[in-house]
Amino acid sequence: MILKLILMFLKVGFLGFGGGYAMLTLIYAEGSKLGLTIDQFADLNVLDVLIPGPIAINSATYVGYLFAGLLGSVVATITVSTPSFVLIPTMIRFEDKIKENRYLNETLQSVKAAAVGLIGGVGVIMVLENAFGISNLKEIFDAKINIFLIIITIVGWILHDKYKINPILLTIGAGIIGYITFYI
Amino acid sequence: MDKQQEIILSRSGKNWLLFKIYFLTSLFTFTGGLAMISVLKREIVDKYKLMEEKDFYNYAAISQTLPGVIAINNACFVGKKINGYSGMFIAALSAILPAFIFMLIATVLYALLPKDGPIYFALSAIRAISAAFIFSAALTIAKHNLKSIINILMAIFCFACTIFGLLGALELIVIAVVIGLYTAFRTRKKVVGDNA
Repeated sequence: MILKLILMFLKVGFLGFGGGYAMLTLIYAEGSKLGLTIDQFADLNVLDVLIPGPIAINSATYVGYLFAGLLGSVVATITVSTPSFVLIPTMIRFEDKIKENRYLNETLQSVKAAAVGLIGGVGVIMVLENAFGISNLKEIFDAKINIFLIIITIVGWILHDKYKINPILLTIGAGIIGYITFYI
Repeated sequence: MDKQQEIILSRSGKNWLLFKIYFLTSLFTFTGGLAMISVLKREIVDKYKLMEEKDFYNYAAISQTLPGVIAINNACFVGKKINGYSGMFIAALSAILPAFIFMLIATVLYALLPKDGPIYFALSAIRAISAAFIFSAALTIAKHNLKSIINILMAIFCFACTIFGLLGALELIVIAVVIGLYTAFRTRKKVVGDNA
């Protein structure tokens, strides 16, 4: 398992252009091959918001721990940082050229565009699993729809995006509302 | 002899500063990325004057261009510039450490949490709100990056592949890299052609 973790986070690190959320979709895709569920991934996303530090580091710690305990979390965290330790010292000589390098910049633009679709898609899958009880759109006819959870997602999105409400407050609020609905 | 000692002291002094700056920045910024850059700039450039502002922003830009965790790229870059390899490792480890420790504690607690009854309902609601954060992250990146037709098509293609479970993220990112390289190759040819 440790070896699989190392391999997974090497892929995530070296293909992880464009920041934390782009990496998250890779972590979900590669993690689900090792058995990471969409619920566990959704909870990871919550913890990323609640816990300080870069998303990729937080995620590696979490996934590593779920699969292989303390050792797994240490290994995954170090592995996801490895590209930096390898690439920066080798690239530092070319610092003047990197920013103007057309190949790197076009790749970054292209991967960021892909990331928009990937992140949005993972969001939809999270909603499907959570509020519809299915794992992709092909199963739409088996859906058991939970309107309450859909409303939370939409209201949360508006409060977060339009009114810039702190995500930590939103998370706590959603938790309290969910807890209360059990008793209604 | 004295001079030698002074240099050694100042080197370890620099490492201590790097440790302090990156540890505290990582501890007090959430989700990393751009929020970190402005705090780091204030500490490294304005407060401790370890680096010129122009250089710092240059390194910050390069850190975003290369693959890897942006915050760690930045720590490696700035650390290496200020204090060689020891600075690089100190800065990177200091940025990793708080994120690792707090996430480990949170994960252990999360794994212990019973997931039934009212807690299950609370978790479902929290998962619903986390989808909201994901959507707004996608929207933010879209606003800044979807400027050409090919990029918009790329985003739609990846979205469709993901929701229908057709292709994995890894394959899609490899496709995106190839298309990016191809676009660069084509525009380069054009530039060369125009000059000739």
